[in-house]
This record gives sequence, structure tokens and C-alpha cells, in this order.
Amino acid sequence: MADLTKLYDAILNGDNKTAVAVTKEALADNADPLEMVTSYMVPAMDEVGKRFECEEYFVPELLLAARAMKGALGLLRPLLAELGAEPLGRVAIGTVKGDLHDIGKNLIASMLEGGGFEIIDLGADVAPERFVQAVKEKNANVVCLSALLTVTMPSMKTTIEALKAAGVRDRVKVLIGGAPVTQQYADEIGADGYGSSASSAVPLARKALGK
Amino acid sequence: MNSRERVLAALNHTQPDGVPVDFGGTAVTGIHVSSVAALRDYYGLEKRPVKVHEPYQMLGWLDEDLKQAMGIDVEGLFPWDTLFGFVNRNWKPWRLYSGLEVLAPEDFRTRVDERGDTLIYPKGDLTAPPSGRMPDGGYFFDTIIRQPPLDEERLNPEDNLEEFGPVSEEYLDHLTKAAPAAAATGRAVIANFGGASFGDIALVPGPFLTHPKGIRDVAEWYISTRIRQDYIHQVFSRQTEIALANLERIHAVAGGAVDVVMVCGTDFGTQRSSFCSEATFRELYMPYYQQVNAWIHKHTAWKTFKHSCGAVEKFLRGFIESGFDIINPVQCSAAGMDPERLKSIYGDKLVFWGGGVDTQKVLPFGSPAQVREQVLRRCEVFSRDGGFVFNAIHNIQARTPVSNIVAMIEAVREFG
Repeated sequence: MADLTKLYDAILNGDNKTAVAVTKEALADNADPLEMVTSYMVPAMDEVGKRFECEEYFVPELLLAARAMKGALGLLRPLLAELGAEPLGRVAIGTVKGDLHDIGKNLIASMLEGGGFEIIDLGADVAPERFVQAVKEKNANVVCLSALLTVTMPSMKTTIEALKAAGVRDRVKVLIGGAPVTQQYADEIGADGYGSSASSAVPLARKALGK
Repeated sequence: MNSRERVLAALNHTQPDGVPVDFGGTAVTGIHVSSVAALRDYYGLEKRPVKVHEPYQMLGWLDEDLKQAMGIDVEGLFPWDTLFGFVNRNWKPWRLYSGLEVLAPEDFRTRVDERGDTLIYPKGDLTAPPSGRMPDGGYFFDTIIRQPPLDEERLNPEDNLEEFGPVSEEYLDHLTKAAPAAAATGRAVIANFGGASFGDIALVPGPFLTHPKGIRDVAEWYISTRIRQDYIHQVFSRQTEIALANLERIHAVAGGAVDVVMVCGTDFGTQRSSFCSEATFRELYMPYYQQVNAWIHKHTAWKTFKHSCGAVEKFLRGFIESGFDIINPVQCSAAGMDPERLKSIYGDKLVFWGGGVDTQKVLPFGSPAQVREQVLRRCEVFSRDGGFVFNAIHNIQARTPVSNIVAMIEAVREFG
């Protein structure tokens, strides 16, 4: 049997090649994909988040770990779908209308994906109606909004209003983040949560969904 | 004291007769063109379109009348070309999404795509892939990543050095004329020569290059600072050699007119964390900063200016050891950037150029009274024994209420 602690280590160390190789080896040995995710990959990304929080890891290490995690998950995803494995939640994520800065959004998406959530990545400069569409058509139950600029922050409010107008606001938890964003702003616009760092994403989304 | 004397006193950590003020001296201490226009209206200055002199962040040029109205003490000396690789000359009308008419240089060539976004082209070359995008309704450009496929085996540091080469005679001619003109204003001159920003993430994608090669994707570059350090060292090492040779030639034609040089704009901080460890900073960046700053301090009287956004308290000692005299923008809203603490620990060795008011919350969204209160408090903390040049934390953004900008300027005057 493949030694799956190597998968944990490969993600933690941001070693994409090894993560992919170990995953292939494990699948050839008929390892349980769900077990690989829940017992090795999610804990690895959790540890990455902890190391980021205590400044042992920085942005490059997060990017590398995310790349390794995605490499492995890319192989597992079709198998998980076959098994009918349910994610912790479905997250529609994007930078809000007018904002093209997506590094922070990409990191949050990776942390959530590594934390067991399904990611519907809407990309950058996402119009409110596209978030609404993701909730209606793809059953997203979490909407994550990111903004780097003070001039685009108001698009967060507009997006929440669009969710209300479409009658789907009560079907989703709206979480927001980005350099100029604060808890106070989240409260003002009626968001369900505010994340101040990459490592806060998973606990925040879990809490919002009561999981 | 005149403006220059006021700034020099502050830079030499002695008490000036008032807090010196910079707006428009660099591409990180400027004002969005729409806010410049609003200020001109507020002060009742002659109605004329404002020039966009920095097209990436759409910074507006502050004419003499506005500088006087705002009490500006610093004059910017800018490079020959812009971040999109064209020269600021032969101005033409251009219209923002807001409807405001401004002036842009002739090679500021744009097209609107099917989404309604505005695309801008490197060197104004419409046959090249666009290198910047302003979203529909937006106020700024962002770089378009044009990353050629990466072949690990064939990575060549020379590909990331295309933008660094000997300064042109044309550029030196420009400096020969522009530097004395800047000094003649009586304000302290800050020069933006370029060439010594090591890994500045705004420049890495090469928005000024027609067909960039090498590592140009932002995430890939950050990853490279961790896993391809030999490559980065080779880029920085060669870049340093080129920068030192250029500085010598630039100094020969413009040196006497310059008081401060903006050396590097590489950001090391994020809102709550950083892009590398302090150890990585010391290993990967500091040797090159030390070479550049050592040359400057040996051959010139220039003070050296380091810009880095975010939570950079842990790097400040390294910046000092790198030979930097000035830190900007002093992002007090980031983690660990408490003004009192920064001033008490580093105030005798670093000049704080910025930190005057928060541009993420108070200036754009607060009331004039809140702006005044914060400005007075920041001046009180940072201006003790000099070592402070007033500036907002980074550029003043679009849609900032002009009443707040004016409240900021009046509070600096009130503090005296």
C-alpha cells in the first residue's frame, strides 16, 4: 500500500510532483479516495493554515501547498463524484464587480477546497447576477466575496442586494474578505461573516454552515 | 524655511518649522486623476483637464497652482517612460468611465473589449497583446498576465532582465533638463529613476514589454522566491550591476538637483502577514539593496526611499541594515504597525514618509472630523524630532470625498 503520510507531507511541503505521484500510486492500490481527502489532505491544508497563522509559512508556501493539493485533488475528484461524496458545502467565490485582484481570492478558494468544500470559482470582476446564478443553478450555499480596492467594496453590498432581490439570500451564507474589508463593514452590509486571513476561511465557512 | 529646507530638516531628523508635505512626488504618494480634478475645482483653480502622468494607477499631475494651494513641499522627478512603456508627451483628451475628461499622452492607446473593459497596450503598440485592463466602470488599470509556457529546463534569467538595460541618451537628456527644473521649484526633489526595484510585483508581469519572456505570472514569481532562489539571485545580481552603472551616468547629469531617490517599491507586507520571512528577506533581497544603497551613500547626498505596503514591522531593521533612510507608506492599518511603537523603536533611524491618514477606511469613508482627528494625532506622534514627511498611506484613491482630502490638508496646517 502507498504510504499516505507522504501525501500529507507533500502537500505540507508544497511538493506537487510527489503529491500527484503518491496519489496515483495510492489509487492503483485501491486506496479509498474519500479517506485520502479527509484523513490526509484536509489535515495537511489545516496544518498549512496554522503555519501561515503563526508566520512559519508565507504567501509562497501557501501557493505551493495549494498547487500540490490541487494536483492530488484533480485525480481524486472524478472518483469522489462517482462515490457521491458530499462536500462540506458548495462555495461560489469571486472578486466583486470592478475588482481584478484575485490572488487573495485564489488563496481562499484553495484553503476552502483543501478544507473539504466544493469550489465554484467565478473568477475576477464578477457581476452580482453571476453570484445569483451560481446559487440558483449550482446550489451554492456559501458565497465568498473578495475586494482589494476601496472603490470596489460597494460591489459587495450590491451583490448581497442582488441575492435578496432574487429571493435566494436565505439559501446562502455570504462571507467577505480583502485588504480594506472589516468586520464592521460586514455587519453594515449584512454579510454573515468576515475573514481576515487565508487561515480563517475554513473555520469561518464551517461555522457559518454550523459544521 | 523654504520647502526644500523643511524636507531636509525632517530627513535629517531635526525639527522643521512645520510638517513637510508630499503629494505627487512619486507613483506611491500621488492622487488619482479624478481626485486631482476635484481638488482643482475645490480650490477654484483654472478649469482645465488634468494630465494622467502615471497611467497604471491613473495618477493625476499636480500643477504648480494646485501644489501651492495644498502646500506641497516635494517635487517629483519622473522617468522618461511610464509603466506601460510609452513616453509622457503630446497630450490628447481621454475620458474616464465617470465622464471626466482628462489628458493622456499620445501613446496611451486603448480599445474597449466586448465586456466593456478598456484595454491598454505596451508602448502604445496596438499590434501587441494588451498589457493592462480597466474593468468597465473602473478607475485603474491592472496588469494582464502574459505568461509564456514555462519550461523548467530552459528557464533563463536573461528573460527576466529584458527591461533592465543601459539608460538611453534620450532619457539622460530628459533628466538633464528636468532635474534642474525640479530643483528650481524650491521644493525638495525626489527622483524616481527606476531600475533598482527587486521583484516589484507591479513590474514583474512586464506591462511595458511587447512580448515578455521569463517568469511573468504573479503567483509563479512568488513561488519562485521559494523554490527557484538561484534563478532570482541571478536576476537580482545582474540587475544590480546594470542599476549601479546607470546610477553613475544618471548622477553625472542630474545628481546635484536630487535630494531623495525612490529606490524600490517591492511590497513585503500584506494586510496581516508578509510575502516572505525575515530570513528570506535577508538572504534573497538585502545583499542587493545594500549594494545599491552603499553606492548611493558613497557617491551622493541622496536619501534612500523604500516603499513597502503592509505589515512590515519585522522587516524594518533589515531595511535599515540595507541602507534605507526612509520608509513609505507606513501602513498603520496593517498588523503590528502601531504609530507610537514604530516611532519609538525606529524613529531615530528611519524617516516615516506617509502614515498620515488611513486610505482604506478613514479618508474614503470617514467624516472630515474623523480625518482631522487622525491627521492631528499622526502628526503629533510621527513628527517628534523630525523624521516625518506627511503623506497619506499610499495614493489617494478615486471616489475619495474632496471634503476629506481638504480636511486632511487643513489638519496638517493646523498642526503646523
